[in-house]
Amino acid sequence: MDNTLLSSSLNKSFGKSLLYTLPMFLITFMFMTGGRLNFSDPYSLLATLIAFLLVNILYFMMHYSGKTDRYRVVLFIIFAMSLSFTLIKNMIAIRSSMSFSQADVLECKIPFCHLVIPMMIIPAAFTKSIIFPGSILNGFANISSMVVLWLVATIVLGRGFCSWGCFYGGWDDGFSRIRKRPVIKHINEISRWMPFAVLFMVALTAALTLVPTYCDWICPFKTVTEFEQVTSLESASKAAIFISLFGGLVVVLPILTRKRTQCSFLCPLGAINSLSNKVTPFTVKVDREVCNECFKCVEVCPLYALSREDIRAGKVSIFCSKCGKCVDACTKNAIHYGIKGVPAGHLKNFSRNLFLFVSFLFLAIFSAGAIISSFQSLLKLVF
Amino acid sequence: MKKKVKIVAGITWAFVCLILIIILFPGLNSFSASTAKLPFMKINPNYTGGEVANQIVAESCTLDIRKPVFDGLFKERKNGFVQLDWRGNLPGKIVDSIDFDHDKKIDFCIFIDRKQLKTTIDQFNKNVKNIIISTPTSYGWSVRVGLRK
Repeated sequence: MDNTLLSSSLNKSFGKSLLYTLPMFLITFMFMTGGRLNFSDPYSLLATLIAFLLVNILYFMMHYSGKTDRYRVVLFIIFAMSLSFTLIKNMIAIRSSMSFSQADVLECKIPFCHLVIPMMIIPAAFTKSIIFPGSILNGFANISSMVVLWLVATIVLGRGFCSWGCFYGGWDDGFSRIRKRPVIKHINEISRWMPFAVLFMVALTAALTLVPTYCDWICPFKTVTEFEQVTSLESASKAAIFISLFGGLVVVLPILTRKRTQCSFLCPLGAINSLSNKVTPFTVKVDREVCNECFKCVEVCPLYALSREDIRAGKVSIFCSKCGKCVDACTKNAIHYGIKGVPAGHLKNFSRNLFLFVSFLFLAIFSAGAIISSFQSLLKLVF
Repeated sequence: MKKKVKIVAGITWAFVCLILIIILFPGLNSFSASTAKLPFMKINPNYTGGEVANQIVAESCTLDIRKPVFDGLFKERKNGFVQLDWRGNLPGKIVDSIDFDHDKKIDFCIFIDRKQLKTTIDQFNKNVKNIIISTPTSYGWSVRVGLRK
């Protein structure tokens, strides 16, 4: 049991890091290329190779440097931007606009996203139907696939989904890194429970109206995906709300606080994912024997998931998304990835290696399609 | 002993999760197809417009009159709608008389000017309210007319 490890022990030699990257290399190659390279389309080939190399270099660096969040965030931000870029490009090609029409709703052509899930549970139980104008099984972002992906990811990663799978999280994560120091340093800790209040509100209103109210009125990410055509005062009000929320919670507040404020204070799925942190085997642990209570981890945590009391009690809260920022910041390696049941301070390297493989594999494969597609478009634009 | 059991259980669960993630993407189509068969995996009639109750076939197009939708969470609502879908090669102006409740009495007449994007109705049934949606679709034209119980 390696319970006396220092932070430097998380990094590995060049050869060992290569060895750890080999399974990721093979699996991502199979998923990204389907086992063979398509030489007939040079743009597609080049985009696939760039994405493949990017993913594997980032994973290699995680092992080689011992840093997690520093490399995770690169792929996470690229994923968020690529998905928005690909989605908007496709919508403009199909509809000549980012907005969807009443006809798209009537024909159930709206792509499904995981943020609808909190609102569809109660109506699904009582009406035995899904309150979303999407496709159950066919087409892009169909309901079945997205539900399966989210369900498995949330069981395996818990709220880790918010830092390793959510294709929106990269937006506020990215903006939160623009300034070196925060302007707003303190926010009342009770605000951490806001997503539960939002979850309660949207689940209730969605059940009563059979409309996914969060998507309809609140979701700030409609700004970077698609939104209802502005044809009335009501649709104009909706647009004003989601654009303001995007500006406030995804751009301005993350810059001022260096925190992911949309994820911390608004996202109802984040609340459900926080509960699923109880199920996942992977967690972040605090080794009280090594901790010198510098509280750097509390300072850097992007989701207000850590408080000084939590660290003194040797635990992290249910809001932890396992992004690894605190792990990277800890000079004593006192806060580390762990597996439930294994005491804090034990099997640090083993737990980190296993968690990184699982979480990064999910992120790499889930993001691959959007990243390759956007790289391909950029290559066509440049050459 | 209890501590060791906890450690083994934790690590075993972690490896099960590793396997889950590895099989997730190759098996996604199959898992999704199975999920789609679950009893609640169908789109609510408030979005689909409900089942087609009657189909009127003309020379170049068809009109689907769907079942009135009043679906609520626990019981039917007071207010709902009936959806009409015209498919095929539609004329510039559509005029149809609709009997959505099959009582052999016309409930409303609908007039659609596709070029002017103008839709009006003449109600003959007190339960027929107003036009909620009238829009061109990929298959033709769709209208939702508001109803009360």
